[in-house]
Amino acid sequence: MDLIIRNGRLVDGTGLPAFLGDLGVRDGRIVHVGGRIPGRATREIDAAGRVVAPGFIDPHTHFDVQLLWDGQARPALEHGVTTVVPGNCSLSLAPLKAEHRPRLVGMFQQIEEMPDAAFDGAFDWTWESFDGYLDALKGKLGVNVAPLAGHSVIRLWVMGDAATERAANAEELTAMQDLLRQCLEAGAIGLSTSFVDVDEKLQPVPSRYAHFEEIDALASVLGEYGRMLQVVPEFYATDVTLARVDQLAELSLKHQIPTTFSPLFDSAATPDNVTRVLARVSEQMARGARVWPQVQTRPIDISFTFEVASLLFAGTPGWYRTMRLPREEKIAALNNAEYLDGLVNEAEPGGNTARYAAVKVRAVIRREDEPLVGRSLAEIAAERGSTPARVMVAISLANDLQASFLAANLGHNDPARIGPLLAHPMVHIGASDGGAHIQSFATYGDTGYLFRHFVRDRQDFTLEGAVKKITADTARIWGITDRGLLQAGMAADITIFDPDAIDRAEEEAAFDMPEQGMRYVRHARGIEAVIVNGELAWSSGAGYRDAHSGRVVNA
Amino acid sequence: MAEATIERAVVTPGHDGSAELLVTLRYGNGGSGHVSLDADGAARLFDLCGVTRLEDLAGQSWRHLMRILDQPGE
Repeated sequence: MDLIIRNGRLVDGTGLPAFLGDLGVRDGRIVHVGGRIPGRATREIDAAGRVVAPGFIDPHTHFDVQLLWDGQARPALEHGVTTVVPGNCSLSLAPLKAEHRPRLVGMFQQIEEMPDAAFDGAFDWTWESFDGYLDALKGKLGVNVAPLAGHSVIRLWVMGDAATERAANAEELTAMQDLLRQCLEAGAIGLSTSFVDVDEKLQPVPSRYAHFEEIDALASVLGEYGRMLQVVPEFYATDVTLARVDQLAELSLKHQIPTTFSPLFDSAATPDNVTRVLARVSEQMARGARVWPQVQTRPIDISFTFEVASLLFAGTPGWYRTMRLPREEKIAALNNAEYLDGLVNEAEPGGNTARYAAVKVRAVIRREDEPLVGRSLAEIAAERGSTPARVMVAISLANDLQASFLAANLGHNDPARIGPLLAHPMVHIGASDGGAHIQSFATYGDTGYLFRHFVRDRQDFTLEGAVKKITADTARIWGITDRGLLQAGMAADITIFDPDAIDRAEEEAAFDMPEQGMRYVRHARGIEAVIVNGELAWSSGAGYRDAHSGRVVNA
Repeated sequence: MAEATIERAVVTPGHDGSAELLVTLRYGNGGSGHVSLDADGAARLFDLCGVTRLEDLAGQSWRHLMRILDQPGE
């Protein structure tokens, strides 16, 4: 036996009650679950008092680029995520002709906020085909990767500049079908497309120029392999989303494929959105269609600076008008004591400082202001004998308007609504966007957030139910047949954690991108060990290990 | 049939971590629908409508919105 995990509380992914016992692994596969395993193994882990669960599967990420220099998808792995699905939202790094690379980089930068340095010199761009990209990943992976092929790049390959000008003709449709077939043969787990995204010039991405006939033609190829279609619908418009649900259902039924759309949000501004969409999903599921809405566990935070006119200021016309001033005029206005008094009176009428009290300082450029990072404006104001609005302005001016602030929990933030939503049998927990938006907020630790808030605090789930949602259910939805369960014969992807402590840590700035580029991360709490294909990949004691046991997995 | 108008506009959290403007339109036949604008689009809507207050967007013509949606990068 290569590995024995002893005395663990085995939560096997089926949703059935946990039980105490050992788990044995040989040659990257689980060979024994439960009971006492006699003898010794090459490695033994004592998991007494800990949960032993299947590795978590994250179905919506954008780790496509990061995996080329960080095959462990840090810090997702330390949160217990052993399989990631990159290539969402119509964007993947293959298939892509060399001449189209700048256009894809622009799209990644606009939609996923990937910095230039992530593409310039951080890896050798050696491939054009999908199998070439997978070859480039070989030997680097510390997590499993189930990659989607992006509709936008398939379109770009076949149509060139016309991909963002018009619908495809019959010949081009056939060429796209052939290209998708090559991707699926190479190992793509499905196709992603988007109805909402724009490129760096704010023009629609190529997939948005497709007529329904094109998506239908590509879905027919997915049907040959029974693989996934992922879609970004017009999620901000309920009626259009309902139409997309119907459209996906038709494709699912016609081609016998699973489909998923992301994101589905709850918002105070559209309180009936989730109810209506889930009702339509239920109706279509009852017909036998597979249309899985992806819902994220974490609330939505908003970050802003004084450099641009964030709509957070739109509720206070004086502030909004000020933020829209040219830079120098804005600085002059904010430095004018009388003008500033007017703004403060507008934001904090009658001395009510609630509006900005909970806003936190996220980042500063002045070294002496670094101790302010992570603290609320109310705390800082109390120290300074000021008010939150005044200290926000002072910090901005001191940092040449480049100080960044965070207003947390502004949307998708009512636990009493989100808990039951996540637990809904037709909701697919996902939409983490791992590896994207890296300079705006951290997209890691959604699983820890799930256990902390919706298992421990609110009990919307049992422990077993939550594990099932992010392991076996995810694997089944995506057609991944050898992962997601602790069962003899399954791949040995295993996460060991303390059920009383698992959580996400506070958000922090990290400078671990190429050329010391900054991103926001959250580290894990309560995770003890993460095992990928039988190899210990991360542990709370030793951190990341030099294991390259990740694989490309598909349906 | 009466022209569609903006019924209300509220600031909402966007998928990408920035604030967005959710505009509710009321159509002549009584139906309604939502359109979401990013910060740039919202600023253009304020300008096109000639208003500075969020609540003053209510009652404005849908045609302003259509100009923004037709020419997103303008």
